[in-house]
Amino acid sequence: MATPSAGTPRPGVQVGSTSEFSLFFRVRPGHGDDLREAVQALQDSPGYRPGDYEVPIASIHEARFVLFDGDTRLLFATSFDGPWDAYMQDFASKPLQLFDSIFRHVEGYEGLPDLTAVKDFILSAQVTAQGYSRNYPGTVKEIRKALRVNEAFQQVLDDPGAADALRHPALKPLLNEAADA
Amino acid sequence: MCSERTSADPVTTAASTALELDDIQSGMLHQRPASYVGTYLLLRIDNREAGRKLVQRLLPVIESARSSSDPTRNAWVSVAFTYQGLKALGVPQDSLDSFAPEFRQGMAARAAELGDVGDSSPENWEKPLGSPEAHVAVSVLSPDAARLESLAERARRAHEQLAGVEVIWHQDCYQLPTGRTSFGFKDGIGQPAVEGSGIPGSNPDERPIKAGEFILGYPDETGSVGPMPAPEILGRNGTYLVFRKLHTRVAAYRQYLHAKAASREQEALLGAKMVGRWQSGAPLALSPEQDDADLGADPGRNNRFGYTDDLRGFKCPAGAHARRANPRDALDHEMSVDVRLHRMLRLGTSYGPMLPEGVVEDDGADRGIIFVFAGAHPKRQFEFVKTQWLNDGIFIGAPAEKDPLAGANDGTGSFTIPQRPIRRRLQSLPPFVITRGGEYCFAPGLRALRWLAELDTQTG
Repeated sequence: MATPSAGTPRPGVQVGSTSEFSLFFRVRPGHGDDLREAVQALQDSPGYRPGDYEVPIASIHEARFVLFDGDTRLLFATSFDGPWDAYMQDFASKPLQLFDSIFRHVEGYEGLPDLTAVKDFILSAQVTAQGYSRNYPGTVKEIRKALRVNEAFQQVLDDPGAADALRHPALKPLLNEAADA
Repeated sequence: MCSERTSADPVTTAASTALELDDIQSGMLHQRPASYVGTYLLLRIDNREAGRKLVQRLLPVIESARSSSDPTRNAWVSVAFTYQGLKALGVPQDSLDSFAPEFRQGMAARAAELGDVGDSSPENWEKPLGSPEAHVAVSVLSPDAARLESLAERARRAHEQLAGVEVIWHQDCYQLPTGRTSFGFKDGIGQPAVEGSGIPGSNPDERPIKAGEFILGYPDETGSVGPMPAPEILGRNGTYLVFRKLHTRVAAYRQYLHAKAASREQEALLGAKMVGRWQSGAPLALSPEQDDADLGADPGRNNRFGYTDDLRGFKCPAGAHARRANPRDALDHEMSVDVRLHRMLRLGTSYGPMLPEGVVEDDGADRGIIFVFAGAHPKRQFEFVKTQWLNDGIFIGAPAEKDPLAGANDGTGSFTIPQRPIRRRLQSLPPFVITRGGEYCFAPGLRALRWLAELDTQTG
């Protein structure tokens, strides 16, 4: 089993729609280089490369792997949309299984024979944040939608006919956003 | 973090700010006359002894900042050294290693970082700028040509008939009585007050900046004395100088404005939106609708403003050149940037003939500005402003935008002008400024110059 990190796990902190989630693992002795390679391989694969924003996963804001303490420990930290408890099983069963090649280099990981094993493995490494804050609200889906709407809006504003079109009373809320960046 | 320090800022003690003005080169800290002419020289030291003799001979013509408080005096000479220059003089390696990393690398090595790519990349620079041959930089500035010549003659004697020291580059420069540079705008208006220098800044509402931001060996805005080259006699009262020869594509600039504006008035407004000031120097923040020549000419008013009443940029766009180079109080409410850590003393001049008014075809002449920065922290002052504020737009929430005038534009960038009802967005900004070369230099204090001249006996 993985070494328990901080006693009994409890739900991560939730801000608005989004929860924080941090896992601390111990790296198997001598596996530091292999782990590094595994993380790099993940980083080089579609959906995980810098700039690969259009991935199917639509509930995770960002995620990071951090090797520390001289490659003896590994942090996996992320922010995801939804309450911690409700999604923990789904989270454990789907996204985390993609990390098999990484987790095989940490202590307590003996493959994932069943969901209980996955859950035990995850929960034994989970530590709830002492502090967590967010500087913008919204889920991943809302943010992607907002970016698409703004892109469309900017296209409209670049049209020479935009000033006339936006005079319609129904479009007044948009006008206030039309005057600056 | 920064707000905490600002609010707790103690009354500065005299001891911490007693600038040794008589040991600081006059070119670093003094008010210049309204107009002047000058020459920049680059020299190569082929022989260590001759190099030290050069420093020895230059010493009598270099005044201190104390003796130069009179802006009407005849002329002034400044001298600075590149890393290669200090090496050529025989400065010991452990001392060389104590200089700022950017200075040690040299400007050409920083090109990718600084956005000096394409036409501005070092392989296209004017020779010998950016080469390891540039060792000593000398500037001679004077209110008029006659006095310049007499001083230049004295400076010339310093290196003439000195086998082992070669002049490898020279560049004439000037400042017009109008203060205008090749794009037609009055420039160099904004200058910070340096605490303890006795010289007021151009914005009476800006608290003087700690001397250690500009002169090595004094407490800076972080509250401590920053890293200083060793030994102390070499580093103290010195400052880093960054000089860049920047060619301005004035015809291209005029053509661009012409294509984007329907009238002369529109062109003037568009130009002002890009710069943040009207051609007279009047700031958009104080005169958003039209130029105001009286305001532009009034040193008591033309730099006395902030941006807190214009955070959305309806008067002065957040992306305008002057607002990028010094956002003043525009970022204070974001609490993540302390503008006082990124201030610059600018000592620049113009070069080359002005493109006559109304001409929109390129005449092939080389013209532009010699940008000169003085400061104690080349990385968090010059390089920060250049890379984060001029060449990037993340800080104003527009990552795709660069400074419309001085940014490293490549024809793909945009510039947003907030206005009601709908913002205007200029597209496909071409580069208007091309880097022709430059170098990081160190301008030592007077004692340090003497130390350099006598280096042989120092090191045995």
